[in-house]
Amino acid sequence: MEDKDKINNHNDSAKVITRRDFFNKIGTTATGVVLLGSLGVTLDFLSPNVLLEIPKEFKIGPLENIQPDSVIDNAEHHVFIFREHPGSFYAVSSICTHLGCNTKWNPAGIEGHPEGVIACPCHGSIFDKKGNVLHGPAPRSLDRFLVRVENDKLVINTDEIVSEDKMIVKV
Amino acid sequence: MKKIEWLMNTKIWRSIFRTKLPISTNLDRSLVIFNSLTLHIHPVKVREKAICFSYTFYLGMISFFLFVILIVTGILLMLYYQPAIPNAYQNMKDIQYVVSNGTFLRNMHRWSAHLMVFTVFLHMLRVFFKGAYKPPREFNWIIGVILLLLTLLLSYTGYLLPYDQLSYWAVTVGANIVKYVPFIGTKIRFLLLGGNQIGDYTLVRFYVLHCVILPSVMLLLVALHFWRIRKDGGLL
Ligand code: HEM
Ligand code: FES
Repeated sequence: MEDKDKINNHNDSAKVITRRDFFNKIGTTATGVVLLGSLGVTLDFLSPNVLLEIPKEFKIGPLENIQPDSVIDNAEHHVFIFREHPGSFYAVSSICTHLGCNTKWNPAGIEGHPEGVIACPCHGSIFDKKGNVLHGPAPRSLDRFLVRVENDKLVINTDEIVSEDKMIVKV
Repeated sequence: MKKIEWLMNTKIWRSIFRTKLPISTNLDRSLVIFNSLTLHIHPVKVREKAICFSYTFYLGMISFFLFVILIVTGILLMLYYQPAIPNAYQNMKDIQYVVSNGTFLRNMHRWSAHLMVFTVFLHMLRVFFKGAYKPPREFNWIIGVILLLLTLLLSYTGYLLPYDQLSYWAVTVGANIVKYVPFIGTKIRFLLLGGNQIGDYTLVRFYVLHCVILPSVMLLLVALHFWRIRKDGGLL
């Protein structure tokens, strides 16, 4: 058998596949396929399909219950909801853009921002009330969410992130 | 001495330790080490300077010893701990205030963990300054680096288990650092947390990593680490 293998290997013109080569190839390929398959199946298994997390969309209202010039800190969804004087609303994420801690609304503000700031306890980032960074280490402004008005309530979905100029809704 | 000799000649002793008695020649002495699994952790012959304290400061052995303490105390802690919300936090409080000697046990585990990070790091410095990472020991250095990473990962996964404010925010921050891995960061974070936020699944995942997966890998690599020391020609 071994002699025969050698002869075949040295003979370039006729590429004969021996029975042993054939079964070796089939075996290795099958093992490879099974290994790759089980890797895929395991990865799939590790990724949960049903999550008991709170829904991304939520409602706040009715509108007259929201004080003008006030801030609601919705801790459940990690969102600040601001109402400004004439009846304009906007929503800013309370999750710090540095490494994800919960920020707090600080009504006392800091020098130059007496209207109040959003501050992070973890590494000291500070944002203005529109979510812009005043102070690092946060690399970018807080997420702003699209706010819609439905049946006298604000509807906010934390999947719908908008830019600063599109965040305000007026009623 | 007489009593020990008598003990070593009993039938039961002879059935456990096969070494030929009396031990008189160098060969006999070698065979004691060679024939025993527990003593086999040391090579048959050691250079005298290698067992001198100021040579290694025993830092590797101290790390290993702390690891053994962590396994023993950890297994005991498991008897009173459930990795679920809100049980986890209450269990930790119970271990401290209700279980006999619980505070002592918990502190043993915590202090040993802190110390182990420290001694492993010092051990690495010792190896570095002695130049003991150079060939033929370069592969043992690599194993060492993985052991250091495992030590840190064990600390990180263990930190979530009490499920208090410190745990929660430390893991939040850590998981968000993972998110910065290019392309697959968000996916890794999702798999690590078992969701988008820290929750029940996260706690169980960290528990399994902390109590089963990481210690097993660590044990395996420590064995390899010790075996390599011998195969690389003993301590430098
Ligand atoms: C879990 C952590 C570790 C344990 C339990 C451990 C254990 C040990 C032990 C018992 C020794 C014998 C000499 C001594 O006591 O110093 C040793 C030697 C050695 N360790 Fe570690 N070690 C660990 C981590 C590391 C790390 C982080 C490195 C480097 C990155 C490393 C690299 C080495 C090398 C290269 C040697 C051989 C030193 C020589 O030949 O002089 N080890 N280790
Ligand atoms: S997480 Fe907010 S400053 Fe670091």
